[in-house]
Amino acid sequence: MKYETVIGLEVHVELATQSKIFCSCSAHSYGAEPNEHVCPACCGMPGMLPVVNKRVVDYGMKAGLMLGCHINRVTTFDKKSYYYPDLPAAYQTTQWFAPVAVNGLVEIETSKGKKGVRIKQIHMEEDAGKLVHDIREDTTHVDFNRTSVPLIEIVSQPDLSSAEEVVAYLDRLKNLLRYARVAECEMAHGTMRCDVNLSVRPEGSDKLGVRTEMKNMNSIEAIKRAIEYETARHIDALENNTEVLVQETRRWDDIKGKSFAMRTKETAGDYRYFPDPNVMPVVIDDNWFDEIKSSLPEFPEVKRERYMSEYGLGEYDTEQITKSIALCECFEEAAKTCGDAKNAANWIISEVMSILNLRQMTYDMLTVSGKSLGELITLVSGGKVGRANAKKILAAMFDDASINPEEYANANGFVISNDTGLIDKVVKEVVESDPKSVADYKGGKEKALMALFGRCMKELKGNCDPQTLRKILIEYIDKI
Amino acid sequence: MDRVILRRLELLNQLSLTETQKDEVIAFFADRENDAKVLENIDTSNVERMVHVMPVMTVVREDIPSQPFSRDDLQKGAPETDEGYWCVPRVVE
Amino acid sequence: MIYTAKKDVNSACKIVAEDMLLTTDMPTAAGSKMLDGYMSLLEAEVLTILKDKGYGVCGKADVGEFAIDLLGETSYNGANTADGKLLNSSSEILKANEADAVIALDVNGTTRRAAAQNGLVSVKPTYGTVSRYGTVPVACSGETVSVMAKDAKTCRKVLDDIAGHDDKDGTSLPESEIAKKADAKEIKRIAIINDMMADVSDDVKANIDSAVAKLDVEVVNIDSSVIASSRPAWNILMSAELCNNVSRYDGVKYGHRAEKFSGIDELYTNSRTEAFGDLLKTAIIFGSETLSTENYMKVYDKALRTRRVIVEEFAKIFAEFDAVMIPACSKAFYTEDDVKADKYVSYKENFYTAPASITGLPAVVAGGVQLIGKAFSENALLELASKI
Repeated sequence: MKYETVIGLEVHVELATQSKIFCSCSAHSYGAEPNEHVCPACCGMPGMLPVVNKRVVDYGMKAGLMLGCHINRVTTFDKKSYYYPDLPAAYQTTQWFAPVAVNGLVEIETSKGKKGVRIKQIHMEEDAGKLVHDIREDTTHVDFNRTSVPLIEIVSQPDLSSAEEVVAYLDRLKNLLRYARVAECEMAHGTMRCDVNLSVRPEGSDKLGVRTEMKNMNSIEAIKRAIEYETARHIDALENNTEVLVQETRRWDDIKGKSFAMRTKETAGDYRYFPDPNVMPVVIDDNWFDEIKSSLPEFPEVKRERYMSEYGLGEYDTEQITKSIALCECFEEAAKTCGDAKNAANWIISEVMSILNLRQMTYDMLTVSGKSLGELITLVSGGKVGRANAKKILAAMFDDASINPEEYANANGFVISNDTGLIDKVVKEVVESDPKSVADYKGGKEKALMALFGRCMKELKGNCDPQTLRKILIEYIDKI
Repeated sequence: MDRVILRRLELLNQLSLTETQKDEVIAFFADRENDAKVLENIDTSNVERMVHVMPVMTVVREDIPSQPFSRDDLQKGAPETDEGYWCVPRVVE
Repeated sequence: MIYTAKKDVNSACKIVAEDMLLTTDMPTAAGSKMLDGYMSLLEAEVLTILKDKGYGVCGKADVGEFAIDLLGETSYNGANTADGKLLNSSSEILKANEADAVIALDVNGTTRRAAAQNGLVSVKPTYGTVSRYGTVPVACSGETVSVMAKDAKTCRKVLDDIAGHDDKDGTSLPESEIAKKADAKEIKRIAIINDMMADVSDDVKANIDSAVAKLDVEVVNIDSSVIASSRPAWNILMSAELCNNVSRYDGVKYGHRAEKFSGIDELYTNSRTEAFGDLLKTAIIFGSETLSTENYMKVYDKALRTRRVIVEEFAKIFAEFDAVMIPACSKAFYTEDDVKADKYVSYKENFYTAPASITGLPAVVAGGVQLIGKAFSENALLELASKI
């Protein structure tokens, strides 16, 4: 018998805010000292009251709109109770009754073509802390830095049917949320986490099979492996009666390549949700809604089409730049400033992206403004700064985004000199010091000219128009 | 209310009651039956729930971080800490 | 125990804070062994305000465990009694002239009962007009910081000093709303709710009669079974919120940790079981049950909807009357025997205090009677109370 896999995902995404969702502690827990970003509220002490971070609602709305959702104009917060050491107040404030966004649709593309994945809901909530098990054998160490960092949970309908589709869906979420600049979505940093609900049924059946939920997958590769393993386990159970499938939560062990049933308490799942009396309903009026809506970026595919038609970029260049909203913004502004889109695209792809790669920065971490880059390109194309020096200026702009390229070029002697007297002097010195190369060149060796040219350029610190130098050099040698 | 439900509620709330306390709690729940009857007499069929008594909406703050409390102070009254962490018996994963 | 902590202060106006208000220079236990010796890093906003205005906070008054009992008898320090009579720490301090006013957290009516039984004045202001920042949370949807003093004038002065918006309390009303207090009209017509006079002793009835005789207002007796249903609805909301709010006390971050345990669940269970008293445990179990999947709609949601019915009932009454007069307790004083006979007697006695708790309406107790008014009418209630 042929089987089909039915998969729904619960994706947790950490929102890129500065402070936590209900208190003002820093939300940047990654890499911090243990319990450095903690206050009485987020370590469960009595007395502080939750006040909602507005930007969390902004980002929740943005995420909802990017994923085609309906935004609930009155959205409320609820308490979910359970005991675990990573939950200091023994409750998590989340959205149970009226989540910020519902009923969305995300389009994915795989080898089988395009497909829509329905989003059930997106809710805003606080993250839990982190448990460290490897400091002492008998003890778990508790770190509340991550407690109350804002999250959205994106719950899909069970519309996915393969690891390939899941990967395409996660890539699409990551791409859209990064475009809206609401989240980093980096699985390795834990800023994107995913639970997989999976069941298997005979192909064509309209009845869902027994569903298991898998947790603890921290890379796309692990998710792929987990789905393939779990699908095979379910089919094996159905075909060969190797085991009885039960609805349960399973932990993926990527090293062993297997999923294991998690120990569950008798009271698991009894979360006793109720509306939080300390958090007033958040009402999203038309002004707020319109402000968020108008702040949304173009969708990546709209941008791609426009880059090819409006700017005349090729497919490769378009694909490279649209990888990141930061690159897009830099490119568009640079193209506008220098008036030469193709040149701007070249600079982004050959120079900007290579510095980002060299410095091991993500593309979204780009801080160089498109305007400055455009000005730099203009300096080069206008013959005011040589390309090699322009690269030095760009590197400096990476270190300090406030640098003005022209001022920096002036201050550091990177401006091309029109002083032909100086060029004549340097050419004379170089040529006279190297009669061998002169002879070689006269004997027909083009390379010898390049050596002389290079030495002249070096003496001139790059501040010379190459065409001019070449002309003066050849004329001088010819005269000898 | 019976001892089976009560056992579950004890587990859920991390409490362990003595036999006497269990009898008292069960008697307390029996008393609440009368309260339930009082509430049944209130017609709430077309009434919206009221969580907040004051009609104030959208209380939000700006996204500005601040860190006025130090870890050392927060952990002063802690039963057990180590290297800046709070400690609990090992939680098996 | 009367005081859980005492301090010498040099001030013309001395304040004692109930041990439900967090202080940084004195411990806060909220009447629970769980928080024995707990030093807070926060100070209750109202105490910060009062200190800034020149008041001296000279001590902490003991309270019952998380302030849900009758008069404070469930404190882990033991009950205060004299000749079998239950005493309240805050009211004893006022009677002994050791402070000009007590700042309390009125969770389940303790402050109002204490004022009524001791001939003192207390004011529970309109919900949201006084910051709850820095109070030990129990039943957040209805509890308010309250003031108790010997006379209405002192209550008025202290309340005026602490009322105001606080950005740190998400339920705090904007100043424009709080300013409505200034528009409160003089009280001329009062309703006595017959249903609320059930089961009260003759002395309490006499207090009502005496108050009516002293006041130059029109008094009409009316019926309202809806107001009388506040108690069961409030008990559900209070217990559920309490259950959730005290779940944070688990022996991990601070507070009592059991000496013997094996594994995390035993750490939690033993610590909580050792540290919590009987009334609190029962309240937790009851509150938890109202939120279970099977009961949520039938019990908790029903209580939330009943709250709206009660609020609307008060609105109807206030269309005709300026205030409501009801008792604050069933009898002139409580005894140790009352609590021995029924550990959960506060879940019945709050019949008289639940209407103002569940609605967030202002309530003033004076001369052993309780006046409940429209939102923001506390000053008019206090004005009337000064004549009782």
